[in-house]
Amino acid sequence: MKAMNCSDLEHVLRDAQPEELRALERHAETCARCAEELRAWNELCVAARAMHKEWASPHLWPQIQQALAAESQVARARPRTRSVAHLWANAWRQWQVAVAVLALAVVSVSGAWLLLRHPEPPVTSTPEAQRRLLTEQAIHQAEQAEAAYVASIEKLSALAQPKLENPATPLLASYREKLLLLDAAIAECRAQTDHNRGNRQLQDALLSMYQEKQRTLQEVVREAD
Amino acid sequence: MPHPDEPAKPITEAHAVAGASEDLQLAEACRSGNAAAYEKLYQAHGPRLKSIALNLLGNRTDAEDAVQEVFLKVYRGIGSFRGQSSFSTWIYRILLNSCYDMRRRKLRRQETPEPVREGEGETPLEIPGPVHDHPMRLVLETCVAQLKQNQREVFLLFEVEGFRHSEIAGMLNISETSSKNILYQAKRQLRRLLTESGKQT
Repeated sequence: MKAMNCSDLEHVLRDAQPEELRALERHAETCARCAEELRAWNELCVAARAMHKEWASPHLWPQIQQALAAESQVARARPRTRSVAHLWANAWRQWQVAVAVLALAVVSVSGAWLLLRHPEPPVTSTPEAQRRLLTEQAIHQAEQAEAAYVASIEKLSALAQPKLENPATPLLASYREKLLLLDAAIAECRAQTDHNRGNRQLQDALLSMYQEKQRTLQEVVREAD
Repeated sequence: MPHPDEPAKPITEAHAVAGASEDLQLAEACRSGNAAAYEKLYQAHGPRLKSIALNLLGNRTDAEDAVQEVFLKVYRGIGSFRGQSSFSTWIYRILLNSCYDMRRRKLRRQETPEPVREGEGETPLEIPGPVHDHPMRLVLETCVAQLKQNQREVFLLFEVEGFRHSEIAGMLNISETSSKNILYQAKRQLRRLLTESGKQT
């Protein structure tokens, strides 16, 4: 190995081979500038090693394991949910349109009905009028039946609730959205029926929405299983 | 089996963390969804992944988040790993990208990341590691934070974490010569910054 001089310093520091470094160190014994440069360079390397940090993270691996397990579940569900989600996307759009149309129809029909019926006295004593309207007794029976129906849906809802609170699949998330929309439509319809208890169209619309809610909840429970 | 959170082996041993065949076997096991393989991966690389992430992100919480993200990305992307680089090189490349993604996300949220200040505002969880502290460490960390991105990466990977230039070249998709040149420039810049700060002894 040839003797090194100051002009070799940069080359050695850039791509130091052990032999070259030793030769430079020999040169540095008689050259204060190169000696200082080598010392500072080495100190930098030693200090750099102190930048490697280690600390205990007892929670990290369990956390990663959990995340990987969740990811694995999603990956397993993905092919199925993709196709179902694709089918659902179309059905969901159609359903939204249907609910919108239904809600509009309910509001229009009930508004028109109220307008047309307003001049008439609420209760007539003629047999003809009595036939046209539901009797108080019949309405009461219908309301009782509705209450029982609602109670059965509520039980179903309680079963589906945990899955809906944290939907594990896009399909469950869609069901949740659908149910929220249905609940809003049901509340709207119920408000109308409270003002107009004998309206058959409103009762029918309400019934069909309850049925839809029941069907959806059943699908959620089945999906969750 | 050692606990995954046992301190890492010293850097010199960590250099030889896994031979090429072991590396491939681990990749295959991960590809097949073997949970134990991921644990092995964590044991072998977790400490260095955390250390790099800490030096790039500045706090332990973000560093651990980045490491977790790496494992999820490995899980999701192992199918696309073709073995063109070594498995471990691939993992560290994912880590670097994840760290920069996190920094970008932080910047978007206008949470300007601070340069590394080890231990600030954090629960003192540090355990005695194999590496001893150095009086220059804090000022050096400040200077490293001022380096250009590629200089900081190469410096951290080579000088702090002990990777070889061939490995760094694979991680950063550069040549070995570039890696050496960047390191040289980084160290010269650090020398200048340290001299300016007047703290170098």
